[in-house]
Amino acid sequence: MGIHLPSLLPQMQEIGQALYERSLQVSAMIPKATNALHSTAELDHSELQSRIKKAGNRWPGAIPTEEALNLTFPPPTAPQSLHVIGADGSQIYPDRHAAAFYYLINIGSIVVSHGSGKAPTIEHESRLFFELEDLYDEADHPVQNAYVNLRRDVAEMKTLAERAETLAGEQTLAILDNSLLLWMALQTGGSISRETDRTLQQYLKLLDRLRSTKTGLAGFIDRPRSVSVLALIHLAGLPDDQINQETLRLTPFRGLTDRAIFTKLLPPGHRSALFISASPLNRDFRTAGHEVHFFYLNTDAKGTVVRVEIPSWVAQDPELLNRVHAGILKDCQTTGGFPYTLVRAHELAVIPPQERAAFEDMLQRTLLGHDLRPTQSQKALTKQLTGQRKQHRL
Amino acid sequence: MPESPKMIGRVTRCSTRGFVGAMQISENALPVFGSLCQAEAQGGRSYVVGLVYDISITDDQFARQLAALDEVPQEQIADGQLNRQVPVEFSALAVGFHDDDGFHQSLPPQPPLTLASVFSMVPNDAVDFTSELHFLQMILNAPQLPVDELLATSLRLSAQARPEEERERFLLQAGREVARLLAQDLTRLENILRGLRAKE
Repeated sequence: MGIHLPSLLPQMQEIGQALYERSLQVSAMIPKATNALHSTAELDHSELQSRIKKAGNRWPGAIPTEEALNLTFPPPTAPQSLHVIGADGSQIYPDRHAAAFYYLINIGSIVVSHGSGKAPTIEHESRLFFELEDLYDEADHPVQNAYVNLRRDVAEMKTLAERAETLAGEQTLAILDNSLLLWMALQTGGSISRETDRTLQQYLKLLDRLRSTKTGLAGFIDRPRSVSVLALIHLAGLPDDQINQETLRLTPFRGLTDRAIFTKLLPPGHRSALFISASPLNRDFRTAGHEVHFFYLNTDAKGTVVRVEIPSWVAQDPELLNRVHAGILKDCQTTGGFPYTLVRAHELAVIPPQERAAFEDMLQRTLLGHDLRPTQSQKALTKQLTGQRKQHRL
Repeated sequence: MPESPKMIGRVTRCSTRGFVGAMQISENALPVFGSLCQAEAQGGRSYVVGLVYDISITDDQFARQLAALDEVPQEQIADGQLNRQVPVEFSALAVGFHDDDGFHQSLPPQPPLTLASVFSMVPNDAVDFTSELHFLQMILNAPQLPVDELLATSLRLSAQARPEEERERFLLQAGREVARLLAQDLTRLENILRGLRAKE
């Protein structure tokens, strides 16, 4: 039957009212949070670092750098010619109800050479994973979707590294439509921890390759929900003797995001100060020389504020940092504050339903050609049958 | 050296009365309204001769967003024209076929199959095919097509495929045939003859 709309009507009223009230609360918090950011910026750097140390290893905040927290940085001049590489991926997850147990990763990438007037170069790469070692973890459990996501993230970074190597020596920016931190490595449930660790090491080696090509690497996060700078502001406002896990949790900025305060603070084209991610995952990145830094950036006149993550070797090289800042702005000019290369990389990577159906049909015919009788589970079959039922249009 | 046929796309849907082909956008390879093309059929044993009567480029939201801007960088225009899988289709009316016995001006025995290669027709073949004018009746009988414009343009292009000294004679002969076919419809005849004269 689908969604029973009549039973949701009362909740529709509630959600509308709740979101309206929350928006009022959030709006009221913004001036307070902005003032708190300015106050935090006036604190002595060593005092702030001492508080961060007290907050412990699990504190999910933003670690300040030498740049004053409340400073904004205007757009640098973009290089006359700049190659911008974008990569994105999509996948078909393993499905035990399907005719065969496999998964597929599809990567799309593009290099736009700004200033050349030439058509960008595009590439697609699709890979099917069907060997037992691909499909089962060390404990013989079928791999989870999070692990497929992890492998997709690594494949995206591999594509960026390979394409950057072909442009070594030229002004290049590589943009990933994701966080640089391999978050999925924390979400694979630990059941394939050795494999996860191996994958993380592969990923870090790809960052080594990008560093050696002197590519400006950036992870682009649109509409970020992160609250790490707010966590820092909250920590800075706590009395020194009251810093503990409970007080750290009781933030007065609940419901607010970093993006909300930087939307007020950043003029179009400006970036925020640099921060370092305090995520536990960043320790592996720091050890490998790729500690993830980030800044917020207002990418267009409408006030689209995004989070940009960069490795330490970009953060510490003014030329690379400016290239990332100016290059992203240049790449966002025609696409409403989101990079053109990522729009196109996504378009190249996405698997539309009709292509997926064509692929599954091809797979079934291949199996039949090998005297196998591919059958879907009864559950999958009945879902297809009921899904084809025609319904009255609302 | 004789010109070799240029591949202009592949068949995506077809019937014995015509076919639709898709292609990458490239202005050089774009077929011309009223031009002749050939699509492989019967496993390569024959070619269906088509007359291009429509070329369409479907838009999408992304193209519309870029089109609305004051200025679009040249790289993005080139990307949209050469790389993006924008559905570009051309439709051709079947006006004949070619087999071991040469050209025939009647509906083909079988249509081309999906993904069959479609080639532009080289001038020598166009001259050969249009040496007979029975195909004009097939154009006039086609429903829901811009028949008058199609017929006039097709004859003009066929004349251009000939040596300069033969063009006028061909157009006169074609004009007479059109007059015979449209003897009962003088308004249309006048329209087509004006079309033939317009860009002579």
